[in-house]
Amino acid sequence: MKNIVIGRFVPGKGFLYRMDPRTKIISLVLLMASAFVIRNFTAMFMAIGFMALLLVAGRINIFRVLSGLRPLMYLLAFTFIFQLLFNTQGDLVVAWTLHYSPLNILMVTALVMLWFFTKRHVKFKFFFFLATLVGAVALVANLRLGPAFATGTLDIYESALTTGFFIVMRLMIIVTLSTVLTLTTKPTDLNLGLESVMSPLKVFRIRTEEMAMIISISLRYIPTLLDEANKIMLAQASRGVDFSEGKFKAKIMQIVSLLVPMFIISFKRSDELANAMEARSFVPGQPRTRLHQLTWGLADTAALVVSLLALTAVITTRVVM
Amino acid sequence: MAIKFNRVDFKYKGDDKKGYLALSNISLSIQGEGEFITLIGETGSGKTTLVQHMNALLVANSGSVDIYGIKVEKQAVKKKKIRLNPIRKKVGLVFQFPEYQLFEETVLKDITFGPKNFGVPEAEAIETAQRVIRIVGLDESYLDRSPFNLSGGEKKRVSIAGILAMEPDILILDEPTSGLDPMGRNALLKVFYDIHEKLNKTVIIITHDMNTVYEYAKRVLVMRDSYLVYDGDPVDLFTTKNIENWNLDVPDILNLMHRMEQDLGITLTSRPRSAAALTNALEEVLR
Repeated sequence: MKNIVIGRFVPGKGFLYRMDPRTKIISLVLLMASAFVIRNFTAMFMAIGFMALLLVAGRINIFRVLSGLRPLMYLLAFTFIFQLLFNTQGDLVVAWTLHYSPLNILMVTALVMLWFFTKRHVKFKFFFFLATLVGAVALVANLRLGPAFATGTLDIYESALTTGFFIVMRLMIIVTLSTVLTLTTKPTDLNLGLESVMSPLKVFRIRTEEMAMIISISLRYIPTLLDEANKIMLAQASRGVDFSEGKFKAKIMQIVSLLVPMFIISFKRSDELANAMEARSFVPGQPRTRLHQLTWGLADTAALVVSLLALTAVITTRVVM
Repeated sequence: MAIKFNRVDFKYKGDDKKGYLALSNISLSIQGEGEFITLIGETGSGKTTLVQHMNALLVANSGSVDIYGIKVEKQAVKKKKIRLNPIRKKVGLVFQFPEYQLFEETVLKDITFGPKNFGVPEAEAIETAQRVIRIVGLDESYLDRSPFNLSGGEKKRVSIAGILAMEPDILILDEPTSGLDPMGRNALLKVFYDIHEKLNKTVIIITHDMNTVYEYAKRVLVMRDSYLVYDGDPVDLFTTKNIENWNLDVPDILNLMHRMEQDLGITLTSRPRSAAALTNALEEVLR
């Protein structure tokens, strides 16, 4: 629970910390858009290199970002697998015949047993699981022990591999970029920046200060609510709820016993927060003075130019090629 | 010995590498029956962390806690070598804020939730619920109400009833009387004392009220900056130790005795610990 990084500010030094939040938000949007436009390998590898450079130059702990990506792993792996199975465009790359023979199935069972009993000693459980899965498929495809009672085929097409790769990379880039933004920007600064960036929308009578306030409050409360969830889990554990084991029906009960107090506490908290803000004379829509003024520096202009260049570059390559 | 702490250290993980030290080198033992312990100390001194170790909700970074013969330590818990649920059946812990545990549609369901988790049949659990709701000073009409439409004090009572229904051998209460009116507070303290007296169970109460400590406790634990600085008799604590250093104050009765001695020259022969006992002692001297 504690290692969820998205939305958490971590104090530190480095040029990203000193930049104007407006620059960071605009650059984030531009770079995200670039990530979506990219369609060829060279550009994608350059983008990945650029990300690595950004993390190193910004002196950001790469492990923090990686642990932020961890919850996304399952989504990424399944998108990739679905692409492999169902995308049938381009040349055929792999055409395996799967042999289902009793001996082969025995081998696979042995592999699964091996995975089952060694998994608790392995550090990267998810990769271990994936490796086992791939190993099992490779076993069935390449080993021909004894007569097969059935055969199947596994066809993987070129487009499946490339599309899968691009989707995974895009998602990773987007999450990394947003993690970098929230890691290096104080929630208050983020609020200021969002408000300022969205202010042109006022023309359409959209109340941007309120939207910025809503966003920054929800970001601010992610870690707080996680702490609350932790406390609730302890309180329920002391009444005999075992969150680590149990049957399906028990699991549902466990989740309910966590979610209901969670909702009640969130509503109560938001009510109290609203009162506290009102008690300090917060009136939605009223103009307010600021203690900290945003300052635009040379680094900001440079960052903006770089992001703009990146976007135009990827667009031109895509149009030209 | 029901609970035995053996050189326990505990640190909360923080954003920085250091973390927050909550327990340092704690060693103590608690009997499974017949103890009435109060745990005091300033806020942030580690009281709640200490009691959360007593039913294995938290596990020591180094050192171990023996709970009813089960040795709870980091490696064993990590590898899931021990089952923690039997411990929680024996050591019941009531949290400071009832909001963290109430979740069912009715008070009855919420009270029976704990016992049912430990395999008590439904009918029996309902019977227990009807009994404990009266013990905490509410009546049976509350059983059909929603726990969310109760006042703060009533919620607190229901959450206490939820733990009492599990019939633990050791009952631990984290500030059970905060947010209650004086009448309710006294009544509830009486309830805990009765549980201790009549059923000979061990009760541990975290409190900031020195009068409670002085009147009821047979043993006091004082926490200060993650260390256990005192473990012993309450009279000794308030008469011989320099308690201002620990941000504690003197119970009203002791203050009163002190003023009587200074201003009126009345010296009592005994050490009364409640108002009633004080009147008796005073009567003896004046007669």
